[in-house]
Amino acid sequence: MSIDTIADVEFGAELPTFTPDTSLTEVSKFAHAVGWGGARFEDHDAAREQGLPGALVPGIMGMGFLTSTIHQWSDNAVIEHIDTVFRAPMIADEPCQIGAVVTDIDEDTGLVELDMTLKNAADETRVFGTARVRLPV
Amino acid sequence: MVDIEALKENFLNQEIDSKEFVLDAEKMVTAARASGETREIYLNPEHADFQATPAILCSLASGRHLPIDFPKLGGIPMDGGKAVECLAPVRAGVPLTGRTHLHDIYDKKGRSGRMILIVVRLELFDADNTHLATTDSRLVIRENNN
Repeated sequence: MSIDTIADVEFGAELPTFTPDTSLTEVSKFAHAVGWGGARFEDHDAAREQGLPGALVPGIMGMGFLTSTIHQWSDNAVIEHIDTVFRAPMIADEPCQIGAVVTDIDEDTGLVELDMTLKNAADETRVFGTARVRLPV
Repeated sequence: MVDIEALKENFLNQEIDSKEFVLDAEKMVTAARASGETREIYLNPEHADFQATPAILCSLASGRHLPIDFPKLGGIPMDGGKAVECLAPVRAGVPLTGRTHLHDIYDKKGRSGRMILIVVRLELFDADNTHLATTDSRLVIRENNN
């Protein structure tokens, strides 16, 4: 079902899940684009030499995955605020999945609150957060 | 043990840095595409409403995270999370100014000791001094009591 206006949103509804591309290639592209290039985001072996479990997915790339999930859910959604907690490292090349649920709706203002999580293949939460999104009334 | 209230009294809400930024359209597109973004306003620099994604705004960091006279609390600060309040579109190729201050300091106690959390707030303005966005970075420091 397409989400065009606030009337299309149901309390407790789950957004379609999103499986982002966490490949080292894409992580490296992102890190370079935001000026965060370096071994910890580009090379598993070099990252392990720094004491990390592998090359990391930047936390803000995780935020990017969350915002993409919202934009895929509704073409009309405008993100006003998003808050993310980096609970544990995300490792490049390890699959992850984004889930989100509608936790509040204000039909007068068009505002929707979402709870969002990014989990790895072991179902461990790596990033979680909330978003406030505006839809047409 | 560090007195959180004293830290707040001495360090909150004082500008600690001001930095100029100009966003590059090509890099904005690369970062948006790598994040799985599908909207043209984030992927097409020719689009009339082309703008930065919220995540890109969180990459804009000041040259200084903490005041120069801020006490050493323990280990190296870790990135505990980010938040962004989007007030107006942030465009490529225009001068931007980020002004940074400490917005909050608080602690959390656990079995392994106390963690100090510091919220570093960057407010982003355009050349007309229009407030475009506010980003918060949560620094987490494990307190060293030795």
